[in-house]
Amino acid sequence: MQEQNAIKVDDLTVAYNYKPVLWDIDLVIPEGVLMAIVGPNGAGKSTLIKSILGIIKPLAGSVKVFGKPYQKQRDKVAYVPQKGSVDWDFPTTALDVVMMGTYGSLGWIKRPGKKEKKASLEALEKVGMLPFQNRQISQLSGGQQQRIFLARALVQNASIYLMDEPFQGVDATTEKAIIQILKELRKAGKTVIVVHHDLQTVPEYFDWVTFLNVKKIATGPVKDIFNDDNLTKTYGINYKVSMQK
Amino acid sequence: MTSAQFEIQLIASLVAIACAIPGTFLVLRKMAMISDAISHSILPGIVVGFFISHNINSPLLIVLAALTGVITVVLVEFIQKTGLVKEDTAIGLVFPAMFSIGVLLIAQNANDVHLDIDAVLLGEIAFAPFDRIYWEDYDLGPKSLWVIGTILLITIALLITFFKELKVSTFDAQLSAALGFSPAIIHYGLMSVASVTTVGAFDAVGAILVVALMIAPAATAYLLTEDLKKMLGISIVSGVFSAIVGYWVANFLDASIAGSITTVLGVLFFITYLFAPKKGIIAVLHRQRQQKVEVSLLTFLLHLHNHTEENERHLDHLQDEINWQRGTSKRVVDLALKNNMITINNQIVSLTDKGKLFTEEAISYIISNKKSEIEEMKSRFFLFRG
Ligand SMILES: Nc1ncnc2c1ncn2[C@@H]1O[C@H](COP(=O)(O)OP(=O)(O)OP(=O)(O)O)[C@@H](O)[C@H]1O
Ligand SMILES: [Mg+2]
Repeated sequence: MQEQNAIKVDDLTVAYNYKPVLWDIDLVIPEGVLMAIVGPNGAGKSTLIKSILGIIKPLAGSVKVFGKPYQKQRDKVAYVPQKGSVDWDFPTTALDVVMMGTYGSLGWIKRPGKKEKKASLEALEKVGMLPFQNRQISQLSGGQQQRIFLARALVQNASIYLMDEPFQGVDATTEKAIIQILKELRKAGKTVIVVHHDLQTVPEYFDWVTFLNVKKIATGPVKDIFNDDNLTKTYGINYKVSMQK
Repeated sequence: MTSAQFEIQLIASLVAIACAIPGTFLVLRKMAMISDAISHSILPGIVVGFFISHNINSPLLIVLAALTGVITVVLVEFIQKTGLVKEDTAIGLVFPAMFSIGVLLIAQNANDVHLDIDAVLLGEIAFAPFDRIYWEDYDLGPKSLWVIGTILLITIALLITFFKELKVSTFDAQLSAALGFSPAIIHYGLMSVASVTTVGAFDAVGAILVVALMIAPAATAYLLTEDLKKMLGISIVSGVFSAIVGYWVANFLDASIAGSITTVLGVLFFITYLFAPKKGIIAVLHRQRQQKVEVSLLTFLLHLHNHTEENERHLDHLQDEINWQRGTSKRVVDLALKNNMITINNQIVSLTDKGKLFTEEAISYIISNKKSEIEEMKSRFFLFRG
């Protein structure tokens, strides 16, 4: 089988109110990697993910998903937004939020039916949230809300998963459970891209990493490029080996 | 009940339903203020429509007014996107400007325009039955009924067709965009419906009542349910209820109908705000008090658990040691007794087996920082809550 790139970003520049927050990013993400995007707050990590998904229009540059524009490949990509980006007081249940993951394949107007519900229940089961299916979402803990988001991405049954800080505010048990699921996805040949803040766990969880701070600092296999030099370039302070155990 | 009375209530009820549907989504999108802006800024659209058609009944007025409503939304967003001011400030800038353009247009052409600003803003539903539509000699009923009925049918059709899209874009605009349901299209669709409804309804009931009917029922329903479909249902029911009750209150007091309906809407919201079972003020305060007593109970049980020596478990000592007011300690001790967590022998308090089990489980959750588990555990152990 021919090796192919899951995502290819060329000369991407993104600005808010004409103030660039991403400068001239070139990035190739091979298919089948479990990749961390790391960088300080405000580095543009969320912005990069949103530009890949066409949520934000870039000032310049292009993004290709499996060689084609994202708009033609929506069904191949699943997205987990940063948890704070939605209103958790919204009147709806855990199951209903997971079902939203099926809306993409349904397209406009068509409504979810039995098949979509069954898939959603299976996704809830996979993240251990089946007993909570009828809970109003504000009555879930932070970690449970994150699992619901993960289930919603799983139900999309995509080839590429883009996740913005899925470990934000979850305890160690949930974090282990989530990473287990992500590793299974990779084993099944999926490409998983995760914005990640805990540098300690990068070597343990991921096999690929991208350093980002307004510009792309480096990208490649964790074992080759996850070192003090790149960490220092990205975070600006002197990093003392986070690799050694 | 005369037929005019019936028609007024019917019109008011249809307006209530037509407003409750977009209103629910405006409230969920935290955009309640925008309906106020729309209702005031459609004036220039009406005036220009009147200049062109020279007919106050022309559909052109509705089209142009709805267009001005959408333009208002676009302007508000444009100003907001510059990042110089917040959304409410942008609204505050746009709608007085639009409204005054309308007023100026009227004043400039005072001689050949007979357009009454009072009527535009306040409307008078009592007169609605007099403005009728005839076909040949056959009476088809009040014009407002036809206007609002048509708008309502379109609104319901759009709601049913695009329910899923409205839901996902309201809850999570970014996911919606990623899935290919453009939040912008849905947003402007909703704004157009809100504008058209406002324009169609204000002729009958006035702009102020339109705003009240959009926001108050939805805000009331928001406090009563945790399900979007039920929220829509409750909004509609409380809107219609207020419309009918308001009508009869006005009839009884010989007061303005729009004013009475608005008052009933306000009273209904206030009662809900106080007494809503989960989100009402009283329920929230009660829950806080219960939490406080139950946390105290846990502290008390932990103390008993940590001290086997009798002098530490004497009632008088506990009073000094834990340093609570008499009322609190009494309530805590009573709650512990009622739940069979402790026994008292000669003023000496001991944990029962159940009390021990409860405390040990609680300690393990406290150590592992699993607060939600403690709540679950409480409902397993407690026969009576604090
Ligand atoms: N909607 C917006 N309008 C204006 N500026 C924005 C907007 N969203 C983000 N920014 C700015 O763009 C920059 C990058 O933001 P982004 O959210 O991509 O950072 P991030 O790397 O995801 O940070 P974090 O770790 O805090 O999530 C920041 O300086 C931020 O202030
Ligand atoms: Mg971010």
